[in-house]
Amino acid sequence: MSTETREAVEQGVLGERVWFYANYHCNLECSYCLTESGPNVARRLLDADWMVARAQEAKELGFRTLGVTGGEPFMVSSMPDTVARLSGVLPTVVLSNATLFTGPRLERVTEALAGKDVHIQISLDAPDAQANDSKRGDDNWQEVADAIPRLISRGLRIRLATTTEAIAEGDLERLCALHREWGIADEDHVVRPVVSRGRAALDGIGVEAGLHDLSPELCITADGAFWSAFGPTVRNGRVDTDFLITRTTAPLSVPAHAMLRVAQARPRGNDATLGIR
Amino acid sequence: MAVWRAKSDSFSALAQAPQSVDRDGRSAPEQAAKVAIIMALVELITPEQAPLLAKAYFADGDPGPITAALAQVPELLEVALPFIGAVLSPSSIDWRTKEMVILRTSAILACRYCVDSHTPVALDSGLTHEEVRALREIPAQDERAVSAFADGRERALMSWIDAVALGPGPVAPSAAIAIKQHYANHEVVELTLLIATTLLLNRFATALQLPVHPSTIERLVVEGFADETR
Repeated sequence: MSTETREAVEQGVLGERVWFYANYHCNLECSYCLTESGPNVARRLLDADWMVARAQEAKELGFRTLGVTGGEPFMVSSMPDTVARLSGVLPTVVLSNATLFTGPRLERVTEALAGKDVHIQISLDAPDAQANDSKRGDDNWQEVADAIPRLISRGLRIRLATTTEAIAEGDLERLCALHREWGIADEDHVVRPVVSRGRAALDGIGVEAGLHDLSPELCITADGAFWSAFGPTVRNGRVDTDFLITRTTAPLSVPAHAMLRVAQARPRGNDATLGIR
Repeated sequence: MAVWRAKSDSFSALAQAPQSVDRDGRSAPEQAAKVAIIMALVELITPEQAPLLAKAYFADGDPGPITAALAQVPELLEVALPFIGAVLSPSSIDWRTKEMVILRTSAILACRYCVDSHTPVALDSGLTHEEVRALREIPAQDERAVSAFADGRERALMSWIDAVALGPGPVAPSAAIAIKQHYANHEVVELTLLIATTLLLNRFATALQLPVHPSTIERLVVEGFADETR
């Protein structure tokens, strides 16, 4: 059975990455957050050993990379070690707002992840504090701008993610100049639209994204397995089920094969149009 | 907890059996509609929230509370519904006989949802009001229920349903002898599986407090199986 998923990954029918929603809580409350994350939401934690076991299965099934997201994954104190363990199985990207990388936590992240096959993908939505902070919270821009050079100087590999309803060409150029100045290559800068799910949907912003707009990446959460990291969103405190694949998440072959059946049922050539990743 | 206005809520609808309840052109009594808004124990999935593996079952809109509850676990839904459909849909056992089994079993298990949902279906399958009343209301292993049916096969079936559904422990030899006298082996197997599947659905629907659709309640009122204050 692993041959089937392996071939599907090789052919692009399934995305090469398996995502883990490690937790749903966050120190920020961004205005467009897909998961309505914040300090006081249900944490919906995934156990570290459990994630590593699923990562091993992902490798055996032919998946090639891992992603860890939340919430803010580094709200979980053991996350640096967990990500390091995951990266020992497959190359890993972990999404973060970068605002927690100070003091002892910075030391732990550096010690655990420097030199590992790990990218930390950090969110920054505008070249200016005002535009960024209106969505991501006061002082966010400066905290991120301070953190990125600090992390890079310690040997950590950084990517940048910009989520925006619209960005003026001049603003994008200034943002790109900034990340280049920090040493982040263009291929490590992701620009993506706000998706109208979660808090964004409640605010009436973002683009509608259907099955064909979201990459066929298997996403594992405490609530089940979903199509894409944009699938297990939260609205008014409840997890959306419209992109739910299975409640069963272990062994990983169960949701992987179920997702493959959904992917294979999609019309050929009907590719994603929004480029959401 | 979810507020739910159930729609297609008979097993036969799941099984794609002949549609028996005419919902077109009928306006449910307001009172009935109001009381039919029931809180199910679990959130019932709406068409907009239908999981990917379950979307086909929501293609025509609200598929009814059994499907909407099962959709919480799509990998179970996609095996459970074809199974339920295969057992309950038209087969070598005729529709009337199947509805006898479903309604009687559901009454023995005191499944409000199943009894109410299948009463109109049973009527549409050809059972008389008197027969339906006997299936619904006469206690298990009460000879009056058997006597409500004139045909020897159906009398044997009534004894078999009561013996199997009531449990626990071995089925009464007299019921076993009677069913074997009137039905072929494959029919006994199918009827028994239908009783067992109905038992499963009885407990599922009762435990999860699945709501009956207002149009079904309206039909029950019209047929004299419920009053308007229900």
